[in-house]
Amino acid sequence: MAQAITDKDGVKRYLITLNVNGDAHTILVKGNAILTNVLRDQLDLTGTKKGCELGDCGSCTVLLDGKPVDSCLVLAVEADGRQITTIEGVMENGRLDAIQQSMINHAAVQCGYCTPGMVLSAKALLTRNPHPNEQEVREAISGNLCRCTGYVHIVEAVLATAQGRVTPDDH
Amino acid sequence: MYVPDFEYHAPNTVAEACAILAELGDRATVLAGGTDVLHKMKVGKLAPEHLVSLKNLDELREIREEPGRVVIGALASHNQIYTSQLLQRRYLSLPMAAHTMASNQICNLGTVGGNIVNGVPSADLPPILIALDASIRLTSAKGERTMPLEDFFWGSAQTRMEPGEILTEISIPDQQTTGSTYLKFGLRRSGALAVAAAAVSVQVSGDTLHAVRIVLASAAPTVLRVADAERSLIGRRIDDELLAEAGQFAAQASRPRDSIRGSAEYRKNLVGVLTKRALKKAIDEGHA
Amino acid sequence: MSDNHSVIGRSVPRIDGPEKVTGAAKYTGDLKFPNMLYGKILTSPHAHARILSIDTSEAERLPGVKAVITHKDVPTLKYGLSPARWDESIFCSDKVRFVGDKVAAVACLDEDTCYKALKLIKVEYEVLPAALDFLHAMDEGQPQVHEEYARNINTEIHQEFGDVEKALAEAHHVRTDTFVGQRTYQSPIEPHSAISMWDAEKLTIYSSTQSPHYFQHYIAREFDMPMGDVRIIKPYLGGGFGGKLEPTGLEFAGAVLAKLTGRPVRTFYDRAEMFAHNRGRHAQYMEITTGVDKNGKILAAKANFLMDGGAYTSLGIASAYYAGALLPLTYEFDNYQFDMFRVYTNLPACGAQRGHGAPQPKYAFESHLDNVAADLGIDPMDIRIINARRPNTVTPNDFRVNSCKIKECLERVRVMSDWDEKKKNLPLGRGIGVATGSFVTGAGYPIYRTDLPHAAAFIKVCEDGTAATLYTGSVDIGQGSDTVLCQMAAEAMGYRYEQMKIVAADTEITPLDFGAYASRQTYMSGAAVKQAGEEVKRQILEMASVMLGLPADDLECDDGQIFSKSRNVKSLSFEEVARKHFVLRGPLLGRGSYTPPKLGGSFKGAAVGTSPAYSFGAQVGEVAIDEETGEITVVGIWDVHDCGKVINPRLLHGQVHGALYMGMGEAVWEEVLFDDKGRIKNAELANYRLLTAVDMPPITSEVVDSYEPSGPWGVKEVGEGATNPTLGMFSNAIFDAMGVRVNSLPLSYEKVWRALKEKREREEIAKREDAQRGLAPQVPVPLETVPLESEEPVYANPS
Repeated sequence: MAQAITDKDGVKRYLITLNVNGDAHTILVKGNAILTNVLRDQLDLTGTKKGCELGDCGSCTVLLDGKPVDSCLVLAVEADGRQITTIEGVMENGRLDAIQQSMINHAAVQCGYCTPGMVLSAKALLTRNPHPNEQEVREAISGNLCRCTGYVHIVEAVLATAQGRVTPDDH
Repeated sequence: MYVPDFEYHAPNTVAEACAILAELGDRATVLAGGTDVLHKMKVGKLAPEHLVSLKNLDELREIREEPGRVVIGALASHNQIYTSQLLQRRYLSLPMAAHTMASNQICNLGTVGGNIVNGVPSADLPPILIALDASIRLTSAKGERTMPLEDFFWGSAQTRMEPGEILTEISIPDQQTTGSTYLKFGLRRSGALAVAAAAVSVQVSGDTLHAVRIVLASAAPTVLRVADAERSLIGRRIDDELLAEAGQFAAQASRPRDSIRGSAEYRKNLVGVLTKRALKKAIDEGHA
Repeated sequence: MSDNHSVIGRSVPRIDGPEKVTGAAKYTGDLKFPNMLYGKILTSPHAHARILSIDTSEAERLPGVKAVITHKDVPTLKYGLSPARWDESIFCSDKVRFVGDKVAAVACLDEDTCYKALKLIKVEYEVLPAALDFLHAMDEGQPQVHEEYARNINTEIHQEFGDVEKALAEAHHVRTDTFVGQRTYQSPIEPHSAISMWDAEKLTIYSSTQSPHYFQHYIAREFDMPMGDVRIIKPYLGGGFGGKLEPTGLEFAGAVLAKLTGRPVRTFYDRAEMFAHNRGRHAQYMEITTGVDKNGKILAAKANFLMDGGAYTSLGIASAYYAGALLPLTYEFDNYQFDMFRVYTNLPACGAQRGHGAPQPKYAFESHLDNVAADLGIDPMDIRIINARRPNTVTPNDFRVNSCKIKECLERVRVMSDWDEKKKNLPLGRGIGVATGSFVTGAGYPIYRTDLPHAAAFIKVCEDGTAATLYTGSVDIGQGSDTVLCQMAAEAMGYRYEQMKIVAADTEITPLDFGAYASRQTYMSGAAVKQAGEEVKRQILEMASVMLGLPADDLECDDGQIFSKSRNVKSLSFEEVARKHFVLRGPLLGRGSYTPPKLGGSFKGAAVGTSPAYSFGAQVGEVAIDEETGEITVVGIWDVHDCGKVINPRLLHGQVHGALYMGMGEAVWEEVLFDDKGRIKNAELANYRLLTAVDMPPITSEVVDSYEPSGPWGVKEVGEGATNPTLGMFSNAIFDAMGVRVNSLPLSYEKVWRALKEKREREEIAKREDAQRGLAPQVPVPLETVPLESEEPVYANPS
């Protein structure tokens, strides 16, 4: 268990290491600190969004050991020592990932607030299943609510990425 | 939103966890996947002094085959159950039930143990597990006990779990069933709680129903096995009349209430329809 | 008209795409400032109660609490969005009027402390009886929400055009139906937040607002400051749909807390608080009567409506007028009567949600029209085509319609959806329905009375001509206005989209624009942008004329190249001409503004619904109904729109998809539910039931070739209009599938099941009676079904 430090008011904090996007961050957190808030407020990784804070909307999706989870339902202490990928870690060497490029090209982004979570869910799907069918795509992103797009272009963008066509014909 | 303050514990063994829980009694809440406990803490329905995290107890994540049974560790996530090749081969209805539960994100966090000890009548896994005659193992500083899962629930969010106990494993015995299924009716197709649901398992030979279990969710204050209905169906020839009758029995036995998801009358109707359809599906599976 | 455009009409990628897909895009809640505090508002737990005392002392003593404020610490001037009824206070002083009404606020070192501090504020209430049922809010003896508004009447409208009674008397067939629309909520995924900070007497607020200008105006008014000392900055916005148009209280409370503490304060609502603040779609009771001739041609229509306004006005006066004003748009008839009461209740205030006022009346009218068609034995598609509005006509309530291709939309969607085949061949349980919609392209008049232009824009070309920046006060809430306006700017300049940058919106830097509401920006902001672009182009051509020694009117600039229209000379690049301009003549700037012409009639309320142009559209939907459960499976939806010239096809269809998504949710799934204490029972996204990706059917969206003569390049609106047909379309598809009409929204599975059950029971009775009498079975009568009300603890996650 993580080392605990108690301050003069009796508040206990835990020394944890979060491996975020390949960087090890050793930080102090209270037991009740939620992973979303720690990523945003302590590590300034604000691409992880707060939408409902109850696991309903998926805006706070991160990959925990490669699997998408709602970071609003994870205590930071529970993520101690684990591998976390946030939206800021999806680009590699300064280049957009194919799913990111495809989302742009298909106009799958509107207000953009669900987009980071959507990208991570899609990325996780394509990693475990490089050739999903439409139903599998829809299921994989069904925990990411989007109020803008009706998901039409998002589903198109994910399927197109799987087929290696990040640019639609009407471009 | 915020999570109220608590003292955090993360024991490294089941024994250590039991010792902590024995000491803290009802001042402690066990934290598994967190999808329910943290949700309740955020909305102000739960504020334990201590949270005892099971995150280090990797041995409770295992799903394995043993002589005469399949054992599922209580910390297996819904997605682990959904993707388990062993379960898909042995009891496909269980992975499929796990798949109906919630979003991918929640299914990666939530655990089968949490789904059971939570005790709510809308939980998706208990009905199919009871239909498959599952039993559970509860461990505490005092020792271990097992009981049929069916006996575990006695009221809404009320279970036979004692303070200091941890649900460690679920066990499904080898059985004679020829088919089983879980049918859930939700108001949207993902991330919806059951308005009503029915799990059944059947043993069919020829066109005779030799054994059947019917278990309902969101149909009463607790998950509900409709034993009377089962008895009246056993040994009978399978036809539309039998299925319709089974549905009626189940609907009559159900005691749903009015909720934001549906009136009692509507939910009773759904119980009947789902029972009938689930039976048909399970029977057809056996015939295939 | 030439369709020879280089930049508009193309699906260029969004200008904000890379920032949004990488998580780099900053929304208000993502911003952090040195020394920043966190602020939260304490709200009322009661629907209606007198405040007896407020004790903040314990909260003030909590470590980490930096300020606690109540009504004693803030201006008492009432505010609102509709100037005719300013009825909201920053904090309640005498009584609270809904669960969620604002009582006090705290500023603390962190979020957790805010929540803890709120619990320590002791408010003593005397609970009063509450008016919760809008159908009875005007009755004698009902609790008064505001003492100054007798019988809880917030707005009363009585309009008549032509001679309705005479036309009805002469009609071949007259029918009346009543319908109820439910309260829904915009539910943008980004929660509201605001960051307020002072620099001496100057106030800066970062806000997730749809209209920086209205914010600036109302905040200056509230704090009695010159508008120039109030700066509103809009970072990226995570959706609005009408819910972020007005002050939320976060910026007023935040500004006072920031002043008291001398530190920046970020105030925010969490999801449940957003639901409580609300401003969603009004619940509405709608009685519609029409008289038609024997061919189904509408001769007269009467709309008699009652609206649940909630506890405050918000933009509700406009909502009330809109509900009736937009009804005569898609179909032509001369005689029209509209009566409306908007009443106060002790529930959260309702406001403007996508399609403002129009979707529910459209649901009622389109359902009613299908009933009329059934009465007369006319195909629902045909009755709409018979009545379809023609271009260059005027509605009975004096709206001038220029371009209008509603008939073409209907004809096209008929083919696309395979209407005629399906109408004949779909089995029982499968059904197909059609409905139409129309919407304003920007409001003809501002929300508060002013003669300011509605939109303005600057363009600044970079010194070396390699980029141009558009400065606009318009707001991209997700619909893509930043992209579309940059396309329009580049087109007007003869420049390239790829070299455009945009600054939007910061009231200190960008020129006035009324913002994102009433589907106005492509047309109105676009008109200002076009003018600014043309001013740049004129200067470029004048400079090039000097450089080339050719007359300016012989030169053209397109796609970043300047060339002679008549001579074969070497072309110049935009960059070299722009640079030369900067060297010789100074900064290369373009300016533009837009003011609509005088619109509408002179009767009371004539301004609401006026617009320089109207969009039109038709939708067909196909559903499959599970007879035993009432479950509705949406098989497919086809939408055809007349939205003028399309600037960016992909973004345009994205607007149709999104509007359909919201309309579909409202049709069957979404509803804000209250308990008998006026508390919301489903103030979270799972139980409010926003639809997921697996719930959405295949959607086919097309446009008809259209050109609006009054708009820049012929554009019209699309973002809201596409919400308007959807509710009625679902109602009609279900009617077609099962022969039952559910007369209240949402058309939930349970209501459909109940209607079917009652139909079966009626048919059983009729059959028995007929067997006795030897008669044919009767046609079933439409039903009213009752919304569900009950108590249950709600857990969102099933594990």
